[in-house]
Amino acid sequence: MKLTFARTGFFLFLLAFSFLLLPQTTHAAVDESEYIVENLDVNDIPNDDGSGLMLSWKPLPKERRIIEYRVYRGITPDSLFFIGKIDVNVKTGVLAEEMYFYDTDFNYFADTQAEGKLRREKGQKKGSPLYRRYPRDVNILGPQLEHYDILGVISEKDYYYHSRKMEVVADEDTTVYAGLKLREFEQLAKKLITDHNYYYTVIAVSESRRYYPHVQPAIGIPRENSPEKISAFYAVYVQDKNRLQFEWSLPTFTDDIYYHRIYMMKKKDLEKFAKYLKYLDEVEKNDLAMKEDSTVVALERTVENPAEFIYQRYSSYPWTPSKTVSINILNSKIIGEKKYPNIFTGKEHEVDVDIDVENIEDYYFVFSLYDVAKYETFSDVSSLDIINSDMLPQISGFNVIDGEDDKGDYNRVMWGKPVVYLTNSTFVDESKTRLLVNYEYNMNKTYKVRNIYFKVFDETGKQIANKNEYYQDKKIIIELPKDSNKNQTLFFEMTFKCNKYLGDDYILTQILSYDEQTRSLYPGNLYLGNENLLENQYYIYKHNYFDEEWRLSKRITGVQREVLDNVRYENNHFKIVKKYDADKNLFLLSSSFSVCSKEDKPDETISSNLFPSEIEKKITTNRDEIAKYISSKDTLQTKEELKEADEAIEYHEKQIEMITTTPLLIKADSYKNPRNRLKFLDKARHYAKNTFSYKIIKSDGKGHFTESEIYIRPGVKSIDKKDKYAVFFSGFGKDHFYPRSNLFKNTMLPALIASLLFGMLVFVMIGKAKKGHDLFVRPIAGIQEIDNAIGRATEMGKPILFVPGLSGISDVATLAGLAILGKVAKKAAEYDTKILVPCRDYLVLPVAQEIVKEAHYEAGRPDTYDKSSVFFITTTQFAFVAGVNGIMIREKTATNFYMGMFWAEALLMTETGSTTGAIQIAGTDAITQIPFFITTCDYTLIGEELYAASAYLAREPLQLGTLKAVDYIKLLILISIIAGTALSTSHLTFLINAFPEK
Amino acid sequence: MKRQIPLLIVIILGFMFAIHTFVPHKVSIEFYDWYQTWIKAISPFMVLLGIMSLFMVHSTKIKRKVPNWQYSLIILISLVGTGVVGFIWGTQEGTPFMWLFKNVQMPMGATMFSLLAFYIASAAYKAFRARSLEATVLLVAAIVVMLGQVPIGIKISKWIPEASDWILNVPNLAAKRGIALGVGLGMTATSLKILLGIERTYLGGGD
Repeated sequence: MKLTFARTGFFLFLLAFSFLLLPQTTHAAVDESEYIVENLDVNDIPNDDGSGLMLSWKPLPKERRIIEYRVYRGITPDSLFFIGKIDVNVKTGVLAEEMYFYDTDFNYFADTQAEGKLRREKGQKKGSPLYRRYPRDVNILGPQLEHYDILGVISEKDYYYHSRKMEVVADEDTTVYAGLKLREFEQLAKKLITDHNYYYTVIAVSESRRYYPHVQPAIGIPRENSPEKISAFYAVYVQDKNRLQFEWSLPTFTDDIYYHRIYMMKKKDLEKFAKYLKYLDEVEKNDLAMKEDSTVVALERTVENPAEFIYQRYSSYPWTPSKTVSINILNSKIIGEKKYPNIFTGKEHEVDVDIDVENIEDYYFVFSLYDVAKYETFSDVSSLDIINSDMLPQISGFNVIDGEDDKGDYNRVMWGKPVVYLTNSTFVDESKTRLLVNYEYNMNKTYKVRNIYFKVFDETGKQIANKNEYYQDKKIIIELPKDSNKNQTLFFEMTFKCNKYLGDDYILTQILSYDEQTRSLYPGNLYLGNENLLENQYYIYKHNYFDEEWRLSKRITGVQREVLDNVRYENNHFKIVKKYDADKNLFLLSSSFSVCSKEDKPDETISSNLFPSEIEKKITTNRDEIAKYISSKDTLQTKEELKEADEAIEYHEKQIEMITTTPLLIKADSYKNPRNRLKFLDKARHYAKNTFSYKIIKSDGKGHFTESEIYIRPGVKSIDKKDKYAVFFSGFGKDHFYPRSNLFKNTMLPALIASLLFGMLVFVMIGKAKKGHDLFVRPIAGIQEIDNAIGRATEMGKPILFVPGLSGISDVATLAGLAILGKVAKKAAEYDTKILVPCRDYLVLPVAQEIVKEAHYEAGRPDTYDKSSVFFITTTQFAFVAGVNGIMIREKTATNFYMGMFWAEALLMTETGSTTGAIQIAGTDAITQIPFFITTCDYTLIGEELYAASAYLAREPLQLGTLKAVDYIKLLILISIIAGTALSTSHLTFLINAFPEK
Repeated sequence: MKRQIPLLIVIILGFMFAIHTFVPHKVSIEFYDWYQTWIKAISPFMVLLGIMSLFMVHSTKIKRKVPNWQYSLIILISLVGTGVVGFIWGTQEGTPFMWLFKNVQMPMGATMFSLLAFYIASAAYKAFRARSLEATVLLVAAIVVMLGQVPIGIKISKWIPEASDWILNVPNLAAKRGIALGVGLGMTATSLKILLGIERTYLGGGD
């Protein structure tokens, strides 16, 4: 058989594809039992909320070439669904003895992208219990709802406007739910239920994606545990203020923490307290034993907590809670500001505790975390650090303004005067006489820094340098005397010149001293007077109309002077899904939603319902309940029963009162159109959630802190009555701030002015060109040579190659390249020369085809247009180069044009073109590629010349006018640069400061 | 109409996006995000356009048996073959598709890229031939910059790295910024020409 070119190519191709079979062939003759993972174990995660399990297994050896381990879970061992995987580097394998997989918290359960039908896992033998992920089939997902806590994440739009009213009858009661299809959920997330059995198995997947058999399923039961012990708790007594101050570290697991509590005890009771802790531990162990063995009985409460309860707050989950509290002592008593409820026991704790101030050092204090399962974990006890208030950090006033240039999601919190501090230093010469000192400075909108002055003193107190930083480039060079000690400590005094007077005593001091580790002069503490600014931190606390407690927004260093507080827009509702309707393919969830907290009782919320009829029904139900309790009172015997009845009546009356007298709900009900009603409630809910009050705390992190007052905007007496939502929230705009969407980005003002000026110049120049003014345009050799280059191709009878860049259609360089293509293609059509246009972008292709086609029509040669001459090669960069280079060599193109955006491929193409002897003209705005084009092409359009080319070729007044306007703008920029340089050199920085840095 | 409607769309949307640059309002952001979803919706059709073009061009070459038509056959078989293995076995790690990617496409791409080193040497030779005063300046500057980047530079003279930095940070950066400034203005001018309907080449033909 003769080996022709075609046959050779075909055999080579077959050979290449035969390699595909390699991975498949490796499937043969493998003992699958060697690929089953060993030692699968499922354990409860300690200190969690009772929903976490931890899987562990022994990974297979590296030689098995495992690429991933896949984990499956089910409520029975015969149906296990894929829940997650761990990828493995095939080359290294797993170095650890054990691998771990955590099934904890709310995580993915199902969404609209899940598979349509239930499908068995790949590569499993018949009868295998392994399935792929849960499909989006309500008949399979629905029955799982009772085995998991399922959280539906729903967009506001879907929840409010797409929910169907679904009535479920159970035990003669009819409950109304909101019904939603799976596609209307962003996602369904699952959490394991405490004390439920779950089965897990793991399989290994090889490099060739072979799925091996699973290990025998292991059972796991998530158990409720007591919270973790916090790492630090500090108690401070401020003697002259008669005030206790507490600060604590925050826990890692916060999901099920309900309360943060503080207790007090006499030091002599420490032993009793230790016994109590031991008892709590035994109770927890016994609870677990009771769950595992029904014969175990509950422990009797024999030990009481000797510590007295003095403070409690909600944990604020899912927000980060505050970590400090101050408690005033009045007349040797700690008196709670309110009754602290315990919603699990139903009891209320009234704090009225005696404290012996004279012997206050006799007390210990302890912090506890109390979870939803009523487990309580105590910190280590802390004795008081007794100080006077002059030892506390000083805090200045602060203010809050709406964040600028945003879509309404930031508030700016600002305080204090500007701060400058040294960050590093290095000698920049061998003789160590020039020291480069880096610095940072922080300011806020209130103070605009103009100059920073640095005075530098040596160890003898002699001033050795005085620097005026009129332009703050964050570095200064200090010239040291030649004979000075290069490792000596340098003393810096730093002052400011600002738009406002800071005071003569506002001097910051810092030292640079020799550090052995870095072998350089390293900055020390930063002092303002006697205060070390690096020692303290600022905590920014905020509070809205939705939550009773303050939450920690930011924790930042003592040298910061402002914070942009992100007020995140929540566009989703989070609802527990417990029921489903298989016939209608719906998942059911609560139709009621909270709007804001009550003004007088912030721990209670005002809620409403998607369906107005349900509100009416709720009123009727409450009235019925009241009537029932009133009628039953005659038959009640004991005082306790009567008290319970009265409490129930009071509760139902309050429910009716909330619905009928809350102005917000009355206003909502005044909307006849249900959609408008929901729109109003949704807006109000957003206002309640996103309107914040602020206070700041300055602390050393160990209980020595000073708390500011809540910020009140000065001059605001009443709420903005124009705002139809604000009227429902007291203090709105005065002490609570809602970030507004801004209409203009201030930083873009110079750009806007320049754009408008440029636009005006364009119109003026076009007008001039139209009137016949001769607008001079500098000759550009590359453009002038285009005609000759096309002529050369015509003479040689060879095609022209035009590459319109490798960028997409949205790139202006591509558009400029295409504009040149139009002119080149027209000329080529006139000369009847073939033009080849390879494209890398899908969308550039049809545009280029249309341009070339139109060029042929304009030239009066529609018959010569060949659609195949404009074609797509590939989106892959170097494959495209290979394609283009191949065309150059095979077609022997006489002229090559490269017009548009290019990257590393530029040189590969132009060098090939150069070797084929083609005349080459390139144009690009890619600065890094211009040198390559200049070197290898005959003519190059540099940067802006690419954009000018089409105007230059067209010679139309409209195009030339634009070109001329660009020249005038360039002149303006040149003047600005020269003026800016001259002014800055003269220490006048107003011009350069007028332009934003980015 | 074939030109006017697209032109109208370009002008209206162009101005809206220009306004979006200056307006941070929520409505403006949401409009932009909404527009982004359209790009996702259009993308698959764009891919189809490219594939159709490939099939059209190369099937014609094969049909007409033009010189080197075998390459076209290889392209089409590779295109279909890669697509088929991707659809059958998926595109995950360990699949034939990924094998093809790692063992065919990646080495080939790397080969092309590595050619760049030789081409750079060849381009450098062309550029640094001291045929004129400008080329000599270029040659000297290049030698200084190159020596400044390697340890031997500082061994020769401590001034070489400093001179190298100066060349890069002063004349080189000034020229780059000058070009960037011109490019910025050129882009603005082209955008303005498109917005005002002065530049219409991208619309192609038809009325």
